[in-house]
Amino acid sequence: MRSNAEYQAVVEFLYREARLADEARYAEWQALWTDDGVYWVPATTDPAADPETHLSHIYDNRGRIDTRIKLLQTGHRYSQEPASLMRRLISNIEVEATDNGERVAESNFILAELAIQAKREMHWWVGRTTHRLRRVDGALRMCVKKVVLVNAAEPLPNLSFLI
Amino acid sequence: MSPAASAIDYRALVKDDRIHASLYTDPRIFDDEMERIFHRGWVFVGHDSEIPRPGDFVTRHVGAEPVVMVRGRDGDVTVFVNRCMHRGTMVCAAERGSARTFTCPYHGWTYDLSGELLGVPYPGGYAALDKSTRGLTRVPRLASYRGFVFASLSETGPSLAEHLGSATKLIDRSCDLAPAGAIQLTAGWVKHRCAANWKMLPENDSDGYHLGFVHLALFKTVRTQYQRVVGDEKAIKAVVRDWGRGHIEIDWSPGYQGPFEWLGGASGSQVAGLVAALERRDGPDVARRRILEGPAHALIFPNLFLGETNIAIVQPVSVDECVHWHTPMFLEGAPELNSRLLRMAEAGMGPASFLMPEDLTVASRNQLGLQARTVGWLELARGLHRERVDAEGRTVSHVTDETTNRALWQHYRTVMTEA
Repeated sequence: MRSNAEYQAVVEFLYREARLADEARYAEWQALWTDDGVYWVPATTDPAADPETHLSHIYDNRGRIDTRIKLLQTGHRYSQEPASLMRRLISNIEVEATDNGERVAESNFILAELAIQAKREMHWWVGRTTHRLRRVDGALRMCVKKVVLVNAAEPLPNLSFLI
Repeated sequence: MSPAASAIDYRALVKDDRIHASLYTDPRIFDDEMERIFHRGWVFVGHDSEIPRPGDFVTRHVGAEPVVMVRGRDGDVTVFVNRCMHRGTMVCAAERGSARTFTCPYHGWTYDLSGELLGVPYPGGYAALDKSTRGLTRVPRLASYRGFVFASLSETGPSLAEHLGSATKLIDRSCDLAPAGAIQLTAGWVKHRCAANWKMLPENDSDGYHLGFVHLALFKTVRTQYQRVVGDEKAIKAVVRDWGRGHIEIDWSPGYQGPFEWLGGASGSQVAGLVAALERRDGPDVARRRILEGPAHALIFPNLFLGETNIAIVQPVSVDECVHWHTPMFLEGAPELNSRLLRMAEAGMGPASFLMPEDLTVASRNQLGLQARTVGWLELARGLHRERVDAEGRTVSHVTDETTNRALWQHYRTVMTEA
């Protein structure tokens, strides 16, 4: 990364995005996306997996990101009604600048989710996130968020919150 | 294998119009089910297309039994118990792959693709080792229908053809949509963990009553092909149907008004290739019917779900836990639809989808509610007064009726009590 200020801006974006997701602040989280956003959670840890041939947990274009948010905002998305109580830690952040001015941030996360909709179980989610960020009207926005769970290919409980 | 007598009186627990809560909560009943339904009956293991080449394998469970499904050098499919004959070690830990032989990691016993024992290290330790008696245990019975491979862990009992009966037509309905007449399950499986008894999911998959309530968020957000089953009860045309032997169906097609409603309303160039291929093969009238009706929405007893454009399996884990597997149903000969089918699978099923998280949340709340001891029974009477029997002897009723649930439980009672 070229400067401390640029690195710091990316880190602040990641922390803010995490906090909005943790706190189910759906509209504010939605506003972090570019119009061509892709939100991808593969169902495998294989780095060669192609979403055009392999099933994913989530492979949302911008339209489907909006649908995902609308569902949560109806108040009838019972798997997130009420919303899970969550906090996530983000660490091991590495930021690269790309030739077209975008920034690619890789980071690890641990997320504690108290799923309070039925059995009130604590679920632990661990993985590695790739953010591709772009400046739109001066502000950083996500154009890609890819989350590779350590247990992507194992049986998972509901994942209808924002990971 | 002679059946052990059960201590449970299933006739007292499964009535024609109600069932007892203990069927979902009693671990002894779960053990009986593993034996009587999953080990003695026919259970779906996997699909031909998952193991296309010699040596390709997948590991699965038949009830509680870990198995490997593998394609041999001769092209035939074998299913053997995933347990070394020496000390019981699981021989194959990978979920899928390709192998020339299977070698146990513990002491190096090596088996060929059909499970025959090829050799053991340091054979001098055995005065006489008859390798022909130490092969991996093959499932006693293996049969397939249109690429769907089923196993039974019992030497005796009804054949697969007898088990499926006329429900083969449900499998046909899905396979016949493919230009090549076969589906392909090559996209990998997503596994969704559910904190509820396994029977909740087959029941829910064939329950047309819950849609407008459990999935209200989706109906409020986007238009779907299920829209016509919410709203005025009398205007709903979809039906439920009992195919016998526990095979049950929701048929949405009487409510469809145009082709490909089941494919998200795809039209024009998106489906031109498929339409042309089906017209060539079947003629325009049959092709038109196929693309209007779409694939089956049906449970093949006990745990294979033909979920329209998905194939799903309900894997029992314990009395209060199961895993719902799903994969998109690709149509051989129409690869241009694969991308759409992938995105539909992600929208419909799995932990992050727009439908199943609600179903599994409600299922786990059922499991919690059924802990109540002051109320013992669950109702199963909806629609009893308005069912009819069609020309083929199948009971049919309004899509919101519990005809399917009753059919499932009546077959369950038969299986759990037969000698």
